[in-house]
Amino acid sequence: MSEEETDPVWDQLADWIGKPLTKGGPTLSPEDVNLPMIRHWIDAMDDRNPVYEDPAAAAEVGLDSVVAPPAMLQAWTMPRPILEGIAERGGVPTEIDPDNPINILDEAGFAATLATNSELEFDRYLKPGERLTSESVLESVSKRKQTGIGTGYFVSWVNTFRDQNGEVVGRQLFRILKFNPGGTL
Amino acid sequence: MKPTISFSSLKVGDAVTPLDISLTATMIVAGAVASRDFMPVHHDKEFAISQGAPDIFMNILTTNGYIARFLSDWAGPGARVANIRIRLGVPAIPGHHLEFRGEILKLEMQDDQGQVEVSIKVTNEMGDHATGTAMVVLPT
Repeated sequence: MSEEETDPVWDQLADWIGKPLTKGGPTLSPEDVNLPMIRHWIDAMDDRNPVYEDPAAAAEVGLDSVVAPPAMLQAWTMPRPILEGIAERGGVPTEIDPDNPINILDEAGFAATLATNSELEFDRYLKPGERLTSESVLESVSKRKQTGIGTGYFVSWVNTFRDQNGEVVGRQLFRILKFNPGGTL
Repeated sequence: MKPTISFSSLKVGDAVTPLDISLTATMIVAGAVASRDFMPVHHDKEFAISQGAPDIFMNILTTNGYIARFLSDWAGPGARVANIRIRLGVPAIPGHHLEFRGEILKLEMQDDQGQVEVSIKVTNEMGDHATGTAMVVLPT
């Protein structure tokens, strides 16, 4: 397919570029940043940086309290899951509005998903008691491409994380390939 | 407490202290649950195989979590990770040995803080699991 040819699937996706993927505004984190979840995380990764749980160690490096491991950013805003039916939903934790660009691709036959890039930015570390929101905006969609595993579209979105005062604390760019396994252009 | 690495002691090309992890199913499941990621491919082997994977595999939040640990194990408690930018490669499954490697690409002073850009390369028996760069900020 040449660049000049029309692609109705891409046209549908293009309408979403720059728009939020979640309707009704940013999603509020189910919990405040909190020490029990920090401990689960540092035990899972065996991360022994003392500033994550020892106030004296945090004070020693100039922090006014313990802080959360930076890579927990996305974990804070993960929705509480509905476990029943999660496999049938392809692992999606909750029922989601079918009016979204991923669904457009699923229905057009580009149902397989491969995560390709993650870019996390941490403007500052978070403290227990803070409450985040996240908002996902579709950043870009590639034209249909031939890849080694099939044909598909690279879909990128940016999650922006804000604190209780609306200040941005971090961002994550996430890129996936939605593809038709073994397909050719 | 381990001291924070001194910005003035660093040179471009210096290695980040290597981190090696012998990955188990328990670690993959613990990481997934700690990040509240209940996608069955990260805890249900039968489901993962039905999706074309060889076994359950580590989720991306855990990969980023280990990279942050790799950086702060080396740089110390006074360092702050400012970004982690990775390209994702082969999956990480139980029995894999993950090798976290990196080296300093760039050193820059900005607003009285030392910015250290490092390369990131995480490999296992199948190849590159994650490659990219990260930024660590040090007090000066």
